[in-house]
Order: sequence, then C-alpha cells, then structure tokens
Amino acid sequence: MPAAALTHPAVRMARGFLRAHRRSVAVVLALSALESLPVLLSGVLLARALDQGFLAGRLLVGLAWLGALGAVMVLRAVVTRGLIPGLGAIVEPLRDALVTSVVTETLRRAVADTARPDGAGVARLTRQVETVRSLAAALLRSARQLGLSLVMALVGLAALAPVLALLGAVPIVLALAGCVPLLRTLGRRQQVLVTAEEALAGEAGDLLAGLRDVLACGARERAYRQLDVLIADAESAARRIAATNALIGLIVSGGGKLPALAVLVAAPGLSAGHGLTTGALVGAVTYLLTTVDPALRSMVEVLGSWGVELAAVLDRLARAGMLAEPPGPAGATTAVDRPAPAPHGRRPLGHGLTVDSVTFAYGPHAEPVIRALTLDIPEGTRLAVVGASGIGKSTLVELLAGLAVADRGEIRLDTVPLRELDPDALRESVRLLPQEGYVFSGTLRENLRQLRPDASDGELVRSAAIVGMAALIDRLGGLDARVGAGGHPLSAGERQLVALVRAHVCTARVILLDEATCHLDPSAEDRAEAAFAQRGGTVVVVAHRISSALRADRILLMDGDRTMAGTHAELLVASPHYADLVGHWNGTPTTGPGED
Amino acid sequence: MTAPITPATRLLAAATLHSPACFTAAALASVVGGASSLAIPRLLADLLDGLLAHRSQSGRLAVLALVLAVSASAAALGTLAGTAGGAAAVGWLRRGVVRRVLDAGLAGQRRYSAPDATGRLVGSCEEAGYAGIAVLDTLVSVATAAAGVVALWLIDWRPAAAFLLGVPLVHLTVRLFFRRTSAAFSRYQEIQADIAARLVDALAGVRSIRAGGTEAVERDRVLAPLAALSRAGAQIWHLQRSTAWQLGLLLPAIEILVLAVTGHGVIVGRISPGQLLAAGGYTALALGLFRQVDAILGLAGAAAAARRTAEVLGQPVPTRGERVLSGSPVGCAVVLRGVTTSIEGRTVLDRIDLSVPAGTSLAVVGRSGHGKSNLAALIGRLHDPDTGEVLLDGVPVGELGDEQLARCVAYAFERPALLGRTIRGTIGLGRPGAGEAVIERAARAARAHEFVRRLPDGYDTEPARAPLSGGETQRLGLARAFAQDARVVVLDDATSSLDTATEAEVGEALATAFADRTRIVVAHRASTAAGADRVAWLVDGRIRAVAPHARLWQDQDYRALFGVRTEDPCPQLP
Repeated sequence: MPAAALTHPAVRMARGFLRAHRRSVAVVLALSALESLPVLLSGVLLARALDQGFLAGRLLVGLAWLGALGAVMVLRAVVTRGLIPGLGAIVEPLRDALVTSVVTETLRRAVADTARPDGAGVARLTRQVETVRSLAAALLRSARQLGLSLVMALVGLAALAPVLALLGAVPIVLALAGCVPLLRTLGRRQQVLVTAEEALAGEAGDLLAGLRDVLACGARERAYRQLDVLIADAESAARRIAATNALIGLIVSGGGKLPALAVLVAAPGLSAGHGLTTGALVGAVTYLLTTVDPALRSMVEVLGSWGVELAAVLDRLARAGMLAEPPGPAGATTAVDRPAPAPHGRRPLGHGLTVDSVTFAYGPHAEPVIRALTLDIPEGTRLAVVGASGIGKSTLVELLAGLAVADRGEIRLDTVPLRELDPDALRESVRLLPQEGYVFSGTLRENLRQLRPDASDGELVRSAAIVGMAALIDRLGGLDARVGAGGHPLSAGERQLVALVRAHVCTARVILLDEATCHLDPSAEDRAEAAFAQRGGTVVVVAHRISSALRADRILLMDGDRTMAGTHAELLVASPHYADLVGHWNGTPTTGPGED
Repeated sequence: MTAPITPATRLLAAATLHSPACFTAAALASVVGGASSLAIPRLLADLLDGLLAHRSQSGRLAVLALVLAVSASAAALGTLAGTAGGAAAVGWLRRGVVRRVLDAGLAGQRRYSAPDATGRLVGSCEEAGYAGIAVLDTLVSVATAAAGVVALWLIDWRPAAAFLLGVPLVHLTVRLFFRRTSAAFSRYQEIQADIAARLVDALAGVRSIRAGGTEAVERDRVLAPLAALSRAGAQIWHLQRSTAWQLGLLLPAIEILVLAVTGHGVIVGRISPGQLLAAGGYTALALGLFRQVDAILGLAGAAAAARRTAEVLGQPVPTRGERVLSGSPVGCAVVLRGVTTSIEGRTVLDRIDLSVPAGTSLAVVGRSGHGKSNLAALIGRLHDPDTGEVLLDGVPVGELGDEQLARCVAYAFERPALLGRTIRGTIGLGRPGAGEAVIERAARAARAHEFVRRLPDGYDTEPARAPLSGGETQRLGLARAFAQDARVVVLDDATSSLDTATEAEVGEALATAFADRTRIVVAHRASTAAGADRVAWLVDGRIRAVAPHARLWQDQDYRALFGVRTEDPCPQLP
C-alpha cells in the first residue's frame, strides 16, 4: 500500500477508532480464534471416528470420538454467544462515532458558511453512515469467521497428512493472487457506482425539493427524463460490477475445487506411499469440499462486495470532509470549535454601540461593502436601517453582533471594543435575529426558552402575549406542543414569531432584528416591533417595510458612499433617495391609493 | 413459510419478473448449481469405493472434474444474470417511484417529504430490487437442501430421519428471528430518520445558530436520539446473538447425530465407506440452508424496503387531461367556483367563488395563514381543491395537460427553487428551447440581468455555486416566470425580498410587458395592491370583499392589514 493511502482520512479514522476500542477488538480476536478451533479439530476427530471406530467395526469408539466432536461444537456455540455482543460493541460505537462526526462536521461547515447540504445531502450522508455500519457488521460476522476457518482447515489438513495441506494450499494461494488485481478493478467500478448513486440522490433531492417549481414550469416530463438517465447510469455501473464479480467467482471456484480433485487423483499413490488411511482421505475431502471451498468463495465474495463497498463509502465520506477528526468513542468528542475566547474577557457596563470608521469587505480584493462608517447608537435607541437589497444591511448587523470582524476601525459596546469581549458575554448582551425563524425539534417551551433556560412558563406566556404569539400557542395546544421535525408544521411567519418571543424573553439589552419580521403581515410586524420597543434597551431593525423606519428614533440610510443617518424628517429633506424609497414604500406617489 | 400477499410482495414479484431473460438465466444457473452440488457427493462416494477397491478411476475423475467445472460456471452465470436482473429491477422500481412522486405532486409531498421520497428512491428501491434474486437463491437453497435430505434417504432412511428430527426446531428459531428483526429494523430506521430530520431543521436555522453561538447545543440536540439508535442497534445484535447461539447448538447436534447413525450403518454393513462420505456431503448440503442468517437478515431488511417502496407507489395520483386551450396567446379568464381546500383537517379555503376577467390584474391580500398562497396554487393546479373547480377560459384545469398548463399559467414564488444546471437553464425552465434573447429580455424585466452578468460565469454560472441573496433569488424566479410567457402570471409574494424601488420597477415591467395577460399577485404591501385592477381580500379562508384598492381602503380593518393605523382614509392623496 502506498504511503499516501495510510494518511487517508478513512484509514486514519479506522486506526483511531480501533485504538480507542482496542479492548473490544482484542476480545473479538481472541474469541474468534477460539471459535474456529473446532474447525481445526473436526477433521482429525472425524478421521479417528471412522478409522478407529466405524470402519474398524467398533461402534462405541466411533461414538466416543463423535462425542468429543460434539463437546467441541458446544464450546464453539458458547464462544459465538459471547462473541456477537462483542461485534456489536465494535459496530455500534463505530456508527455512533460516524453519526457524531458527520453531524458535527455538517453543522460546523454550515455555521462557518463553507458548505450547506440540503435535505437530500443529509439523506445521502445518513445512508452512507448506515452502509458503513451494515458493511462493517457483515464483514465482522463473515469475513473474520471465514478467513479463520480457511486457515484452520489448512492446518487441520496438515495434521492429517502434510502433503495434503500442500496440495490444498497451492491452488488456493494462486487463486487469491489472481483475485487481487480484479478486486482493484472492482474497487474502481464500485466508485463509479457510488458516484452514479450520489448523482441520482443529489439530482432527485433537488428536483423533489423544488417539485412545486417543476410543476409550475410544466417540467414534470423533463424532470422524469433527467432522472431516468441517472437511473440508467447506476444500472449499467451495477452490471459492470457483476461482470468483474463473475470473473472473480470463476477463478476462486477453480482455486477452491482443484485441491479436492488433486487429492483424489493422488490418492492411490498417497495411500501406498504415505500411509493415508481411508478415514484421513474421507476427512480430507470433506474438509476441502465442505469447509475450504465454500469458505474461500464466501470470503472473496464478501471482500469483493462488502469490503470494496465499505472502502468506497468511507472514501466518499472522507472526501466530503466528514471524517476530518478521527472520532473517538461516543460521547468522548469535545465541544465544537468556537472562536478563541478573547484574552481580556472584559464586560461592558452600558449598552450603547459605537461604530468607529469601520470598513468591511468580503475578501482582500473585493470592493468594500461598508466603507469608513461612523455611527453612534446610544443606549435605548431604536435605529432602523434602510437601503436597497444587497447594499450591506445584513453585513452591518453581523458586524454589530461581533459575528463579522471589521477590516479597519472598530465597534464598541459601551466603551469596550467587541473583539475584546468574551464571546459568551457578548451574546448575553447582544442578540441578532436573522430572517429565518429557527425552530428545532422539541416542545414549544424548549424552543421559547432556548436563550434563557431558566425562564418560567409565566414569563414565556407574557412575552408571547406581548409579541403577538398567544393565538399561535393556543392553536398548537399550549407550551407542551411539539414543533420542528416530527411536530406541528409551522409557516415561515409562525417560525419568526417563535424566534421573536425567544429573543423577547432573553436578557440581552441590545437586540438586532435582521428582517426578522418579514414573513409577518404588517399589523403583526407592527405589534412585534412595538413589543421590542416597549421592552427597553437598544433595538436595531433592518427594515423590511417603511413602517419600521417610521417607528424608529433614528434611521440609517445605507446607499454605498452616500450613507447617512438622521430622523425621518431630516432624511426626507436631505436625501432624494430616501424620499424615493419612502414614496415607493407607501405606494407610488403618482398612483396613490384611493385614486378614483 | 407462506407469506401473505401484500402490496409489497406483489411489487417484489413484478420487479423481479421485469427482466425475464435475466431471471430465467439466474434461475437456471441456480438450479444447475444446486443439481451439481447434489451430484458431487454421489460421484465422490463412487470414486472412493472404487479407490478402496483399487480400480482405475480415471473415467469417474473426469466426470467429477466436469461437474465441478459446470458448478463453477453456473455460479459465475448466476452472479452475472442475478445482478443484471437485480439492477434492472432497481431501475424499474426507481422509474416507477420517480413517476409516481412527480405525478402525485405537492399533495404527495405532504405524505412523503422530498428527503423522505429521495431516501426511498435511492435506498429502499435498491434493497427491494435485489430482493427477488435473493428470494430465488434462498428458494433454490431450500430445494437443494430438501434434495440433499432425499439423497441421504436414498442412501439409508435412518440418517435422513435423524436429520429431519432437527428441522422443525431450526425452522422455528429462524422464523422467530425473521419476524423479530423486521420490527427491530423498522424501529432502527425510524430513529435514523429522526436524526436526519433534526439535522435538516438545524441547517435551515444555521444563521440563527451562528448568531446565537449555540452550535454545540444544536449538535447535541440533533444527536439526542443517538442513544436510542444504539439501543435499537443493540436490540438487533441481541436477536442475532440468541439465534446464533441456538443454531450453534442445534446444527452440530444434527450433524453428529446423522454421522453416528451413518457410522452404525457402516458397522452393520448397510452403508459403504464411500456412502458415508456422501452422507456427510449431503448433510452439509442440507445444513447449508440454516447457515444463512445474514441472508435472512438481508431479506428482513428488504421486506421493510419493499414496504417503503410500495407505500410510495401506492399513493393516489390526480388524473391529468390532454386538452389544449384554444385561442390566441393573450390572457385568459380565471374562475374559481365553490372551492374548498383543507390541510390536515384545517380548512384553508372555504367555498371560494372568484372570477378574474381575461387581461385584468388581481391582488390577493389577507393575513398570514389565511389562504392566499393556497388560492394562488390552485390556479395552475399545483394543488387540487377538495371540492369545487378552477376554470381557465371555461376549461377545468384538470382537463389540461402539463405543458398546456405551463403555457397557460406561470408562477413566481417567494422562495423559488433554482433548478437547472446554469442560470440560463434556471430562467428557461418554464420554456424549453427559449433562445438567448428571450432569456435576457426576461432577466432584464426582472432586474436580474445586471447581477447575473457580474456572476463568475454570467448566464452559465451554476445556480448552486452562485452567491445569491434572497432578493436576487427572487428576481431569478421572476425572470423565469416572465420567460415562460404564459397567459396568466401568478406572483406569490414573489417580490417580498426586493427593496421597494426594485419592486416598483419589476411591477412596472409586469404591467407593461404583460398588459394583455391576466395577472394575479399575492401582496403584502399596499403599493402592490394599489397597482392592481381589483383586490381580493381573504379572511379566514373566505373572501371578505373583491373591489378596487381605493374602495377597500375606506375600511379600517383593511388598512390595518398594511399596518396603517391612522384615521386618515387616504394619507397619500394630494
């Protein structure tokens, strides 16, 4: 194996995993050796039973030898009984580790905004993890047992007559050698199949997630044809694998069956020259045809199917970056990476924000989104941010929340620069609500007090009443109602209500609403924003409707280089662009409502 | 084992018989393989007896070699034909599922969400497709094993009877295992699906998680069912353990009993040494069946997969017509007559009667959750109403074919799914074969042309790789609807993420370029409603009024809809 293969994430993961579970692995190995001992002894015991017992006309001696065989078999069953939970003790933690690693990595990347799989992507990952589990289980159950049986059978053969072991071993080794390159081909073809299956899963996931749009565009037939091609690709990839498998099967059958034939051809000479007894001959042929041949075939089959597939799927997961950290035993993984806590960990006293000539660009060569912005947001201010979409409103609130860091200049909470604040302390003071209303699987109560776990039901209900969520709670049947995956389905607006109440309950004195009310109808938005105004503290609203701006103490109009702040009246006079925005927001000035 | 005829069983049979040639070849190979396994012990017995009698056995050796070769070839053919047949069955099932899911439309998606349906398409279909061949192999194994017992019987009835003593016990053990694991597997798969659903939820809320710094908590929440998953997994191992233990005692006991009886036969001279070898071979053959715990486990999984596939295939689909709407490509009249819709028992639209004359525009307003989007979805038959009918120029939408419908009704949504491999394909999705000029004109009208040009590869950029904001995504959705050039254009909250200036520009483009079409706009802003010829005001799934915006504006409740609390009825009038 080339050195590079050993540093492959899948190999690293496997090594790390086996190290972490070396006790379980050692137990399984020891029990496996014990389990295949009967295979070693069965040929010898059978030969004795025949030669000294039944063929010699002594029934009791024959039965005694068979009794010994039976005792060995009982031992084997006992060992197997202990062994299977041992296999589970390897496979189940492996699955736990994989699920943990996949979920952690997927979330980490999504939060870091590097990759964000959709529902189909998640389904694919789930399936791959499950494939690893069942393949590992099958491999452990079968290949382990078969391989050891094969070795034990050859040793047993040698115990009967060494020359028999030689006759048996040569074709087997040749067949195995012949299989190696074919197994490689199989591996490549398996990759093709996995890729084809992934393409199908990805495309089907996208098309089905966008089924409404497919139907609206009359693209149903085209969607069908598109998937049909991918289905056919997967089908032909499976067929090519079958061809390689059939060839491997032929070679292995040859290797498995030739030894018995060779022993029979050589038998007259062997019994004359090597004193091969009839019992030994029967034992040897029985070994070769009932143990060695099936074990060899099954083992190569198992390696060629499950083994190759396991390698392919692990490779896929590794390439997707899902095995970035070698997962240890379940539960032992540490908390997810966080930005390193600030060295000072200072705590602010007040809750005013100061933006001091801040410049921010997405990347070193990109045009700055925010250029030399200076702005004072005294404690208790209600500030509305308005401007065209894509002008940088969301970027500004992310800077205010400390989620993005200014390239130049700094933002201070009270007098403390944000970057010097402990991240947890910062979040306790400043809460940003994005547009999407996040609802997770759990009860309504759990969702509402996510940011303040000690909030009482009374506080939750009071906040809900103020924000305008009381009717929704009633409809869902109280705080115990389940929402999120497997719970009541909620509309986008209802999700936003949940997020709003969650923020209303929390202790932060600075609330940043980034279009967090955009799915509510205007009167509900009104009510929600009034709730935050009444709550006190500093509120910054990225305005979705002009009504938000009208309610604010101050307005920040973002307009590239012409960004300015002021009251509604001031801006109407100072900025034609603002006047224009307000005009459109209220209905175009030329065709006002109530025209006729 | 007599399995009841369920839809899943019927489906497995149909899928397997889908490629009869492969199935026949695989069956033939299986049977020939089984027959040669039966012949081999007998040939060996004759050979051994001949050797013991010191006669030349070259003829018999040649026959044995031939049979071994045939057996190996049959196995290879079985692999080839079995996999080809299985792959074909998988393909057939998948095509069926894709067809059914697409045909069932959005109503079907309430039953099986997109990730769920995709999972069934990719995973369950594959497992179910190969199940037929697996069943065939198992059947041939049973037959071969039974023939092994018969062959044993032909040597001497006593060892065969000894063998048969053990069969009922083994059968019971395996059967019990089969039944239990199927349930355990279903439970396991449910928990797995729960974890996946939680992860999808968390991904949808990723900005909140970033803002809240709750990544670690969320991760734990997603992983919360993991302990239950482990328990369900351990349950499966537990079942495997008890079965393996029972079989591990039973099978060797049978083997030794048969050997003892046969050995006794040798002593009393009923059986030759060669026949003793054959008896061993036949016993092993007969026992082979019971050693397939993994295969049986696979069948249990396949049975669950077949059920999941059959469920999707068994769901009802609305019928589709083939009628073509005559007339020139200008707006057509939209009529809803007595339309009622409910979702999960909740009435969303209640006996709606609505008529939109050809070439006019209608705004649909109302509070969130009062049925606006549902009403919009009925017009292009994205949904069917529970009762009542929807007519385009007097023709029920149900009588129109897919392509006709798309030519009649175009949609732009609040959150459009950007399908297609390029932005060009995304915009042209509703109008196959649209030229460069059409796409660009539509993009300009939707105010999308400028930012599309700034994308890395312009119109050839892959949508998934384009860094698009919500507003930009909406503009691509609008461009797509414009390019579709349909007779009715439905904008379902399709400008909510646009700034008001851009929204006004898009509104103007719509009013100018589509002046002769019927336009239906679900609106949240007063300006949008003001721009429409008439406004349909929905309250609790019923129409409260249909009138021009100016007339409705007199109503305080109507004004409250747009967040205006002033008593002044017309604040904007000069």
